[in-house]
Amino acid sequence: MNKYTHIVQRLAMALTLLSAFVCSYAQTDSIAVDNKTSMRSTMIGIGSADVLDTYLSPYKYTGMEVRLMRETMRMTRLMGGKVSNQTLIDINGSFLENRKKTADEYAAGIRYSIGWHYNLPIVSGKGKSAPTPFHPSNGEGVPGDLGVGFGPMISGYLGGIWNTRNSNNPGQAKLDLCIDLSAMAYYNLRIGKMNCLLRYQLNIPFVGMAFSPNYGQSYYEIFSLGHYDHNAVFAHIGNMPSMRHLLTADIPIGRNILRIGYNGQFNQSLFNELHYHSYSHNFMIGFVKRVIRK
Amino acid sequence: MQYSHKLLKKIWHRLAVAILLPLLWGGLGWGFVSCVDEEYPTADTPQDNFEALWRLMDEHYCFFDYKKKTFGVDWDEVHQRYRQMINPNMTKPQLFEVLCNMVGELQDGHVNISASFDLGRNWSYHEDYPENYNDSIVSAYLGTDYMIASGLKYKILEDNIAYVRCESFSDGIGDGNLSDMLSRLALCNGLIIDVRSNGGGNLTTAHKLASAFTNEKRLIGYVCHKTGKGRNDFSSLEAEHIEPFEGMRWQKHAVVLTNRSCYSATNDFVKCMRTFPNVTIMGDRTGGGSGMPFTLEIPSGWSVRYSAVVYLDSDKQHTEFGIAPDINVSMSGADTDRNRDTLIEAARQLLNGN
Repeated sequence: MNKYTHIVQRLAMALTLLSAFVCSYAQTDSIAVDNKTSMRSTMIGIGSADVLDTYLSPYKYTGMEVRLMRETMRMTRLMGGKVSNQTLIDINGSFLENRKKTADEYAAGIRYSIGWHYNLPIVSGKGKSAPTPFHPSNGEGVPGDLGVGFGPMISGYLGGIWNTRNSNNPGQAKLDLCIDLSAMAYYNLRIGKMNCLLRYQLNIPFVGMAFSPNYGQSYYEIFSLGHYDHNAVFAHIGNMPSMRHLLTADIPIGRNILRIGYNGQFNQSLFNELHYHSYSHNFMIGFVKRVIRK
Repeated sequence: MQYSHKLLKKIWHRLAVAILLPLLWGGLGWGFVSCVDEEYPTADTPQDNFEALWRLMDEHYCFFDYKKKTFGVDWDEVHQRYRQMINPNMTKPQLFEVLCNMVGELQDGHVNISASFDLGRNWSYHEDYPENYNDSIVSAYLGTDYMIASGLKYKILEDNIAYVRCESFSDGIGDGNLSDMLSRLALCNGLIIDVRSNGGGNLTTAHKLASAFTNEKRLIGYVCHKTGKGRNDFSSLEAEHIEPFEGMRWQKHAVVLTNRSCYSATNDFVKCMRTFPNVTIMGDRTGGGSGMPFTLEIPSGWSVRYSAVVYLDSDKQHTEFGIAPDINVSMSGADTDRNRDTLIEAARQLLNGN
């Protein structure tokens, strides 16, 4: 990747986040605070994965991925009721092989994220309340509502990769705890008589800690001999340039809400001169349920 | 005024969508651009496979400096010499042979190239020397009434010397198995551990067996690993100790029988045992293999095994080319003709005080 592309990418990221601050015009009443209603969704997904970990192989392994995602979202009373709380549990499993199909790898992991988004209405439809990431009041959105939310997420990942052919370096553990920058945009699209809530969310790991063996260090040295060598790594956007995309559409079907979407994960790291990337694209499908606490 | 307000709102709506959507798509687009990617040649051509293999070894192999000092191998000169043997029209077997010969320059039994049709290797560490082991003769010593504990075959010989045959460290040794075996042998005058032709296995297994021969924590060596792509990018040396086994431990004199085929974890076992005052190493020099091997691959899909982590002895010396015995004994033809194992007999004499 050349220097120009590097600069353009950083600029695009900054502008995307800055847009949430700039677009602050709203001609609505204040957001009706309804923190007793939470939205829960469960989705399963299937797609493809492309994994490179130079501790195991200088070459990438590709194959199929399956994913399970559980999301909870609710409005809070923070900052006049404009802050929403989101938790995400994301479980993935990949079955991979090398280009020449002479070796296999298996990758799996679980990510738990919790975040808070400050919501700004950009454009309000004809409703009295400002748009929110979900519609707590009546389950039906107001066509034309457009809003953005932005804020931090705390994200932790535990997983690993296993190469079935290697000798004393058969596996690689993945462990990190980061603060992500998160932004989302949501729009209520009317199709015929149906109001569909579209949501796009982008999470970018910003700073945190991660585990990595040193360049040529064996796990035997770390865990059997207790020889630690730069295994707790300070992770930041410079050595862990990653993005996680989520694009969903909530479609009311009768009394249920079907959610379909795309989950795109672009996780990368460069710790101790070990290169890692995991690129996955998944089609997701599931259901949304609204739970009202009394 | 009302009309202007509505018009302004409409313009703002469209402007907001026009700004936000491209920015969002820009964000999506950035997600597809990779900045942490493969750095090695990827084409399955003779040239790319050659360069990938040479570079893989150059950036990961841990004994370049030692081997240059020991027998003068220059990895850059190897590149120049073997590059001339690569041509685009060579067949896969031909390429395999050239690549195996190239890494064979390192004279390392832990360096292998594995293809579907062959395993490239340099086993000169034992092929160039007498075997000093005869399986049939050893079987005669064991007979058919030997006992087995976690893969260890053992028997009490007629002169009350215990004989333990350890063929491999690939499987684990259970604590109870080891303890019970040594309990049964506790009244013997001495103990022979025969690790001849044991090609290695798990370090933890080798160290567990060794731990039954010491009553105190002992320094057995040092370990270091590569910290970068440079040939001399190494971590500092970390001391390696062995703790005494928590079960039954051997308290009397023991003899370890070795030959040139004692390699890898077995070499490390001998490295541990020779630090114990009640142990004598007898036989031929071990084969060595002190580097812990890792595995990577080249574009053809062939796996490449190489020495990655350096293990030194307690004096910070290399054992890559083997450990010399305390007492050098070789099998004699006369003994072999009489179905006698020269090394076992020499060990029995030593243990019996003859």
